[in-house]
Amino acid sequence: MDPESFLYIAVSFFILGAVASLLPLKKVKDYIYLLPVSGSVIFGILSFSLVSGSNLNVFSFPISSIFEFKFHGDSFSGFFAILISVLAFCVSIFSIGYTSSFTNKGLFGFLYNMFILSMYAVIFSANIITFLISWETMSVLSYFLVTFERDEKSSKAGLLYIVMTHIGTAFIIILFLLLYGQTGSMDFAEIKKLSSQIPENLRHLIFIFSIIGFGTKAGIIPLHTWLPKAHPAAPSNISSLMSGVMIKTGIYGFIRISIDMLGSGPEWWGVTIIIIGTISSVLGVLYALIVNDIKKLLAYSSIENIGIILLGVGASMVFNANGLYLLSGIALIAGLYHALNHSIFKGLLFMSAGSVVHAAHTKNMENMGGLLKAMPYTGLFFLIGSVSICALPPFNGFVSEWLTYQSLLLGFQADSVLAKIITPLGGAALALTGAIAAACFVKAFGISFLGMPRSRQAENAVESTPSMTAGMAVLAVLCFLSGIFPGTVINMLSSVIGSLSGYNTNNDLLSYLHADNFFIFISDSSKEIGNAITSLSPVSIILTMIVMLIALLVFIRIVNRGRKITYADSWDCGIPSLTPRMQYTSTAFTKPIKIIFKRIYLPKREINISYLVKPLFVKAMKYSGGITPFIDKYIYDNVTGFIKRIANKVRLMQSGSLHLYLGYILITLIILLIFGD
Amino acid sequence: MRNWIQTFSIIDFISVGILLTAISMNAIRRLESCVKAYMLNSWLLSLLIAIIAFMINETHLYVAAVTTFLSKGMLIPLFMKRIVRQIKITHDVDPYISNSLSLVISGILVAVVYASLREGVFVTGVSKNALQISVAVILIGLLIMITRRKAITQIIGLLFMENGLFLAGFSMTFGMPTIIELGVLFDLLMGVIILGFFAVQIRKAFMSSDLDKLTVLKG
Repeated sequence: MDPESFLYIAVSFFILGAVASLLPLKKVKDYIYLLPVSGSVIFGILSFSLVSGSNLNVFSFPISSIFEFKFHGDSFSGFFAILISVLAFCVSIFSIGYTSSFTNKGLFGFLYNMFILSMYAVIFSANIITFLISWETMSVLSYFLVTFERDEKSSKAGLLYIVMTHIGTAFIIILFLLLYGQTGSMDFAEIKKLSSQIPENLRHLIFIFSIIGFGTKAGIIPLHTWLPKAHPAAPSNISSLMSGVMIKTGIYGFIRISIDMLGSGPEWWGVTIIIIGTISSVLGVLYALIVNDIKKLLAYSSIENIGIILLGVGASMVFNANGLYLLSGIALIAGLYHALNHSIFKGLLFMSAGSVVHAAHTKNMENMGGLLKAMPYTGLFFLIGSVSICALPPFNGFVSEWLTYQSLLLGFQADSVLAKIITPLGGAALALTGAIAAACFVKAFGISFLGMPRSRQAENAVESTPSMTAGMAVLAVLCFLSGIFPGTVINMLSSVIGSLSGYNTNNDLLSYLHADNFFIFISDSSKEIGNAITSLSPVSIILTMIVMLIALLVFIRIVNRGRKITYADSWDCGIPSLTPRMQYTSTAFTKPIKIIFKRIYLPKREINISYLVKPLFVKAMKYSGGITPFIDKYIYDNVTGFIKRIANKVRLMQSGSLHLYLGYILITLIILLIFGD
Repeated sequence: MRNWIQTFSIIDFISVGILLTAISMNAIRRLESCVKAYMLNSWLLSLLIAIIAFMINETHLYVAAVTTFLSKGMLIPLFMKRIVRQIKITHDVDPYISNSLSLVISGILVAVVYASLREGVFVTGVSKNALQISVAVILIGLLIMITRRKAITQIIGLLFMENGLFLAGFSMTFGMPTIIELGVLFDLLMGVIILGFFAVQIRKAFMSSDLDKLTVLKG
């Protein structure tokens, strides 16, 4: 079968799912999610065939010379379609159980199916009109899903989200208008062909607009403000999709415009992206560390991971400008590999966080604790996701971050001094990020799953339904598989980036970066591992780990032979019994880091003491502490303050008096009469 | 035999009558008299249409004259009178500015219109003055809407503007197609009915028909 018929079948599955959700079918309503499950399987087959080289072309009848729906799939869009398919598959299975207690299931199912479909539409759009319509559909549908649980918090978060995303869309529209004005074509392929005509200054402008426009969707700092609010407000299966794939469409759009259409560009483009990536990853993880809301923590961590992806992409652009095409290819592979990994483990983490919130009825980690006993599977999957996101072997985060490090550290090969300085600094920032991320997820797992339950709800939590655990299990297995067999993914990615302009060095790349199921190595000239600059073998790492574990167990056995094992209570400092209130809290755990980075957190604390008789008899003491979000305070507050001041001036004109409005009309008419000639 | 219309400038005389009835609105204090001024204005308008029809011997313009007379001269004024009685304000127009000042402003408006439309491509219709007068009537209608407080005077101002537009249409084109005229008249009738209901509702909701009270609706 050709790719087109696969597309039609897959799309009809999703549309069927959307329509079926609206029908009054009480009994089978939960199982309607099997339709998007099968739809995403077919989309998955389609995207794998796209990655391996086939092309997809679908047209509509042109409504006018400009207005025409057109879809095209190459291996680059195929790669992002794989991301969507994998996550849509697992999240749909998860949703069977997760949505069963929802009040308005029909509407939710409709929005859910159309939302996934709109993401596919964005990835496969082949001209400006189609892209903008799909993009806007995706934004609006995700807004409806964010505000689905109708409380004040989510409608506020939704409002912020829709405002931010439309500011981004405005920039995207301007950049497309610039492209159209310069090339005279709406078609992406035509624009790509004619893009060399665009004058230098306009290229820079388009690049900057694409950072702002797509960066808002991707959640780069300082355009991230909507993300930590919208992700926790949405139902967990939606936050999983939003964080796993929707923010990646921002990365897709950026690479499509700035690398594919404009052909990378001068060095400072890449340097800008590395700086943005550094800021996003370091600040993102710092904020993730100190929040106590488990979903907010994951949302900030998404910002961090977008930063890591951008480090790879930015390094790739710097190397491309310096003529190091092979290194540039490796860096882009690293970035895209991390995009794949992030959507797998962040999808997994959001789903397991969703199960936890579902079971413990709270998002606050200070009220959780001891959940591992009640929810062993969810706990295991959360642990696997945490280990992956901390970039620890043998899971997938390790491989992509290792590749990113390698490409950043190999930046010394560049001729330009700027590249020599900026790439190792990016690597250093990545190392800092990795360390803080580890602390962050030790906290997330330890506080919520270990210890004793801190609240009644946490005590009464039960394991989630089989369909929910099944959805998580698939992603957990994928975390492991793409962690120990990175060769397959890397070889796939090297054909993916071959389709981007400026990276058609496909065959050479594979001689430089060698990847099979046992080794990845980067070598100078020949394919021998002996000449490798650097190499990695995930399989041997896991084998070593197993051997070490066995050796340790054997060692303990030998040492302990003949000794008597006694079982007793934990050491409790002489206090008769341990209570949950004696545990380390989430806030306390992060205190040392908060002190180290106080210049960034700008912590504030307030102690209110009310006295009976001053100063001896204290009636009550109240302590409140927190941090100052300096981006909100120094950037957004100034901008909104400025707009408010102007709005207040304009408001004088808007008195609400009908007569005054009519007066404006009369004055306009008279002016037109007098000066109308 | 139709030369006498041109010789005695009958059209200009009637146009001036239309302008004068519009200007008289600025000095009238009683609401019922406002409605009467509008009625007179509409009668003059339909007479003008009838004379133009007689002058160029066009049958469909007679139809237009009769329908204008029936709707604007009879039906709408009757309806307006009913509303005036319903909201129980028969007098007290209550303008923002004094009558003399609003008369002066109307005079200025007429002068501005005459000054700016002195020469131009448009002045090719039945009479040079008719177009200028029609624009002046539109502006005076708008001025009435601006300076009066009551919802009902707003409607009358709007009706005067509409008459001005009708006059402009006839003075330039010797009559629009009948179907358009009928459509416009029907729209106007509906509009007045709806606005009348609004006026009554505003009176009920705010215990006053002053539009000032509407400012509390502002966000």
